[in-house]
Amino acid sequence: MSKPTPWLRALQVFASVAVAVGLVMALRAPVDAFQGEYARIMHVHVPTSWLAFLAFGITALGSLLWRVRRNRRWDRLAAASAELGVVFTAMSLITGSLWGGAVWGTYWDWADPRMSTTALMFFVYLGYLALRRTTDDAEAAASRSSLLGIIAVVQVPLVYFSVNLFRSLHQTQSIRPGGATMPTEMLVAMLVNLAALTVLYVALLATRMWVMRREEAVTIEPAAGAGVVPPRLEEVGDG
Amino acid sequence: MQLRPPGWETRREAGKLPSMTIVSLRNVQLRFGPVPVLTGVDLDVGPGERVGIAGPNGAGKSTLLSVIATLRPPSSGEARVFDAEVGTPQAYEVRRLIGWSGHDPALFDELSLRENLYHFARLAGLDIAEADKALHQVGLEAAADRRARVCSNGMRRRADLARLLMTRPRLLLLDEAHAGLDADATAIVEALSRRTVADGGAVVMVSHDRQTMGEHVDRVLTLREGTVVP
Amino acid sequence: MSFARQVAEFCRRDLLTERRAGEVLTIVTPFGAVALMSFPLAFGIDSALVSRVGPALFWVVVFLFTMQIALRHSAAERPHQRAVIALLGADPFARLLGRTAAAAVLILAFMAILFPAMLLFYSPDLPEGWPLALVPGALAGIGLAQVGTLAAEVTAGLRTRTTLAPLIVAPLAVPLLIAGSQALESLASDGGILPWTVLVVATDLALAVIGAAIARPLEEASL
Repeated sequence: MSKPTPWLRALQVFASVAVAVGLVMALRAPVDAFQGEYARIMHVHVPTSWLAFLAFGITALGSLLWRVRRNRRWDRLAAASAELGVVFTAMSLITGSLWGGAVWGTYWDWADPRMSTTALMFFVYLGYLALRRTTDDAEAAASRSSLLGIIAVVQVPLVYFSVNLFRSLHQTQSIRPGGATMPTEMLVAMLVNLAALTVLYVALLATRMWVMRREEAVTIEPAAGAGVVPPRLEEVGDG
Repeated sequence: MQLRPPGWETRREAGKLPSMTIVSLRNVQLRFGPVPVLTGVDLDVGPGERVGIAGPNGAGKSTLLSVIATLRPPSSGEARVFDAEVGTPQAYEVRRLIGWSGHDPALFDELSLRENLYHFARLAGLDIAEADKALHQVGLEAAADRRARVCSNGMRRRADLARLLMTRPRLLLLDEAHAGLDADATAIVEALSRRTVADGGAVVMVSHDRQTMGEHVDRVLTLREGTVVP
Repeated sequence: MSFARQVAEFCRRDLLTERRAGEVLTIVTPFGAVALMSFPLAFGIDSALVSRVGPALFWVVVFLFTMQIALRHSAAERPHQRAVIALLGADPFARLLGRTAAAAVLILAFMAILFPAMLLFYSPDLPEGWPLALVPGALAGIGLAQVGTLAAEVTAGLRTRTTLAPLIVAPLAVPLLIAGSQALESLASDGGILPWTVLVVATDLALAVIGAAIARPLEEASL
């Protein structure tokens, strides 16, 4: 089990190629007249946002399955997906903020419910990862974090709803991206990137789970009590 | 009431022991709020002595030990350790001569056993090689780089004893030192206590288990109703 | 062991513990960021209001969360540990200073992470030459570390310490809060930062003198 299985290797290669193709298409796609070159950020922003939600959904699913089946695999799925979710959420927030700064003229827009919800979600899953870190025992970590994984996914839609309601009461946003429909080429490039980054997510997820399985199999620490040998009291002496 | 070991006076007069009494308590009283814990303890412990104090749980044994350790001044009476009065700045100067081990090993959880001992060595002004040596002596060097948090209580207790081997106190205070220790660890306590006495120091241990303690000390006293009796 | 090396040793221990436990970086800091976010959500989207009061809110968050950092569970010493350290002959003031230095490093790191978050969330109108205000800001952070560590010592070993300590000392840190937040305001109104810097330096020094004077009795009281 020292090397990744052939299919995992293949998945990693496929994901790399897909991301490269997506990147090329994003750079060649036509741009919106209003947004200019900044529109290209969307090719990363939209897929990472979608993947953030997907990843946390998978975390909830893994948590639920772990509670039902008590199979380590499901906990690894939940944990690996949460880690990736945090990374994708950060990417989504950064790209969204950069895009907003360029196009809306503000890096952070409290009137956008998706932005606030995404940021709050980011912290919820940072908490999830911190909770996992608090113990070295995988089973103990799983039994607590699986509950948080489930609570979070129920709560996030409510957060989204509340922020949306909040926005509808305080509508101040003036400039919005034009409602113009996307050119077909741009849409195709976007969809290709969505697919490519989803494949990347799956490949990273599989790789991370593989690494976790190996981490659990390897005991770096000696068994409790091992490494303790009889004392050398003859060296203590009597003074 | 004054309690001295049989023959102590004659040995002292014969010049076999340094004249200074290591621990000297005179009518020591201590209250926690309205609760009297020590109601008048007299105790003398001289160089080369190993004294055990037995008593049931809650008798005030650990409290008495903390007075002897200079950490808690008595409410009234006089407590002197190495001739320094407990509760005065003099006592701070003799603290480094005192070693204390309790049932809760004084280890920092996030540091490895070795890092813990290095920390104590540096604070005591010792070379860190002394820490490695002590870990070797207690048979922990192979496990020394594990974090204290993941070590068993037995290992933590041994690391605590390694600290005392390293700092070489002249007054060794042991709180329930034998409880829950395996034969090897008990032998470490015994070696530590023998060496302290050979160095001209003294050992005071407290335990609820009079019988076990009796095998490791020269005389056993009893703490009852806040006072020490033979 | 010299005094300075004892200080370094205590500081090193606390920072190593934080590196392993990650309490400030992975728990307190994200919580602080959530606190920053919660103000605009509670105010309603009045972005002008948010950018006007943003820097002040940053200081309120820093002020309150500093106590969490100073009282972090991973750095708490058990009674027996305190006893052993005292018996090793360590200087109580070296201990207080070393632990304060570690808390200051962590508090400044916390501020360094939250400050850009504040700029992002609140888009405040910063006056010309605002980076100058970082000087009294950082000095106030050090003062908060001093107050927080003193609070942690006063309440060492008490069951209610995490709630009691902030109550006792937060009011004493008010000069730091005022100086830290007003330095920026003052720049905006061409007032300069000097008076605020002087106030915060005086507070830091006063706290250092208090610390030196009470380090020993503080340690004795909690043994």
